[in-house]
Amino acid sequence: MKKRNVKFYLAIYFKIISQDIKSKLSYRVDFIISTMGILFTNIAGFITFWIIFKNFDNINDWNYYEILFLYGFSLMALTPTQCLFDNNWNLRDYVYSGDFIKYCFRPIDLYFYYISEIFDLKGIGEFMMGVGIIVYAWINLKYSVTILGILALIVMWIAASLVMAGIMNIAAATCFWMNNSGYVMVTVFKFTEYTKYPIDIFNKGFRIFFSFIIPIAFVTYYPSMVVLNSHNLPILTIIAPIFSVLFFYISYRIWMFGASRYNGTGT
Amino acid sequence: MEIIELINVKREFKILNRREGIAGGIKDLFSRDYRYLSAVDDISLKIKKGEIVGYLGPNGAGKSTTIKMMTGILEPTSGKVLVNGKEPYRNRIENAQDIGVVFGQRSQLWWSLPLKESFKVLKEIYQVSDKDYKDMLDLYMSLIDIKNLWDKPVRQMSLGQRTLSDILAAFLHNPSVVYLDEPTIGLDVSMKSKIQEFIKGLNSQKATTIILTTHDMGDVDALCNRIVIIDKGKKLYDDNIENLHKMFGMYRIMKICFSKDVGELDYDSLKDKAAELEKELQENFSGDDMTVSVDEGWIDILMNEEDVSLMEVMNFIQSKQHIYNIKLEEISTEKVIKKIYEGGTIL
Ligand SMILES: Nc1ncnc2c1ncn2[C@@H]1O[C@H](COP(=O)(O)OP(=O)(O)O)[C@@H](O)[C@H]1O
Ligand SMILES: [Mg+2]
Repeated sequence: MKKRNVKFYLAIYFKIISQDIKSKLSYRVDFIISTMGILFTNIAGFITFWIIFKNFDNINDWNYYEILFLYGFSLMALTPTQCLFDNNWNLRDYVYSGDFIKYCFRPIDLYFYYISEIFDLKGIGEFMMGVGIIVYAWINLKYSVTILGILALIVMWIAASLVMAGIMNIAAATCFWMNNSGYVMVTVFKFTEYTKYPIDIFNKGFRIFFSFIIPIAFVTYYPSMVVLNSHNLPILTIIAPIFSVLFFYISYRIWMFGASRYNGTGT
Repeated sequence: MEIIELINVKREFKILNRREGIAGGIKDLFSRDYRYLSAVDDISLKIKKGEIVGYLGPNGAGKSTTIKMMTGILEPTSGKVLVNGKEPYRNRIENAQDIGVVFGQRSQLWWSLPLKESFKVLKEIYQVSDKDYKDMLDLYMSLIDIKNLWDKPVRQMSLGQRTLSDILAAFLHNPSVVYLDEPTIGLDVSMKSKIQEFIKGLNSQKATTIILTTHDMGDVDALCNRIVIIDKGKKLYDDNIENLHKMFGMYRIMKICFSKDVGELDYDSLKDKAAELEKELQENFSGDDMTVSVDEGWIDILMNEEDVSLMEVMNFIQSKQHIYNIKLEEISTEKVIKKIYEGGTIL
């Protein structure tokens, strides 16, 4: 018996995902329509954003392109959660119907097995849009393009994605304790709307809330500072990569602890 | 050697008296308003390698709870479960490597993947070698025709095909124990017998130990060498089927028809008649467990020949009403088991 290490899990992950993509592509029309749907939702969101901000030269000393950068980064940071961790949205139904039991009998990590089941390609369009917006903002901000800058941005993007996924892990896991957990997830997800705004437009209470309670400031604002404020990095930007790994790990432990309470029935 | 051992296993559930609404949900987090339910109550059991054990009991008896403890999902409140010498709930992943589980109507396969692709993923997960994998598929092919399932995504399968696929998947890594919780529920007769054949084949070829819960006595008669009956969490019976029949060997069913044309009798009036007859028989004969029921135009009288004489019962009925037709039947496993449920503690 081989050890179940990262390589073992990656192999299984790619096996499941490649099969899943293959079968999804065979429902091509379905796929195209839902991708278009997501794209249109995002374009509509973007136009609203554009109309609001075009009328101000700046908000709290943030100029239009900086705000645009945050917007683009936020789209990118939400994508992995949507593509790779989407099954969290179904957790509550599985737990309540009792169907969650079907995940409990495999000799592999339960969280991994559960999350690997769904891979949602549709978020890719959103991701491309985010990249486009960031490039456009970057050019207009007239920042220089350096390898280091891009690498830093990628590291921050991964960190931001981990925090976002972690937030949703915890929100989803509430169903192991609570009867009415549906609204928890929806509410928490609604908060992620605020990732698109610079955190200093909020008052102090909200800033603390968004940094340490539901840390959405780590999903866009702090990581983006690596580009937008590279000469004077906030301390929370510097610790963001470590924070994100820690936060994701904690969210995983909470999820697994909840699952260990699961006793194989619906309610 | 014992492959599964239950030692005085008890499992209680703490049931929260839940409140309504959001505020109630939050209060529930801190609530102490509980009651306790004993789902499994002091069960001891030893199962040897290669046995097929029918684990029977009415709904809510505690069958699934027992299986959840054996598969490592639940921990007993007290007592001990040992599978291959280890407590499954302490080594969930290790235990999972060596078991297969099917919960009827809850497919564990990937919804969008064709069966053959699901198998490939399972091969990775359980780290089955190429040779073992191929050997197992060859064995499958020799036992059952799965060509029409092979390329089909699970979502497009009928319930029967899905269940069959789940059972195939459960045996794929050649586990030492397979747990089947109501696997044939809702399936048609031909699928049932196909599945029975397959399970029997795997058991005889690979000596897989099988724990089966079912309400279908066809499954029990076809598969089980031994049955364990539980009710309200307590063990009522644990022996082979022959002894069960012997135990009830003196029971017979006398089937009586009062009319030439079975079709012209309506069910309700027959039912009334049966109830009336039961009362009369119980008044006139000593056997107090004589029961009368209706079966498609026939009236079934279940009696114990140790207590009453068949001829006397027949004469008694004949004296009241003309009998057109009469049949004698051995009691079926189903009826025996029902008798045990009703009788409460027999052993
Ligand atoms: N997780 C649970 N929480 C509370 N009660 C439960 C739970 N699981 C089972 N029960 C109760 O325990 C009893 C036995 O259930 P179960 O083992 O599912 O029975 P069976 O499978 O024989 O129909 C039932 O009364 C059931 O309601
Ligand atoms: Mg059950």
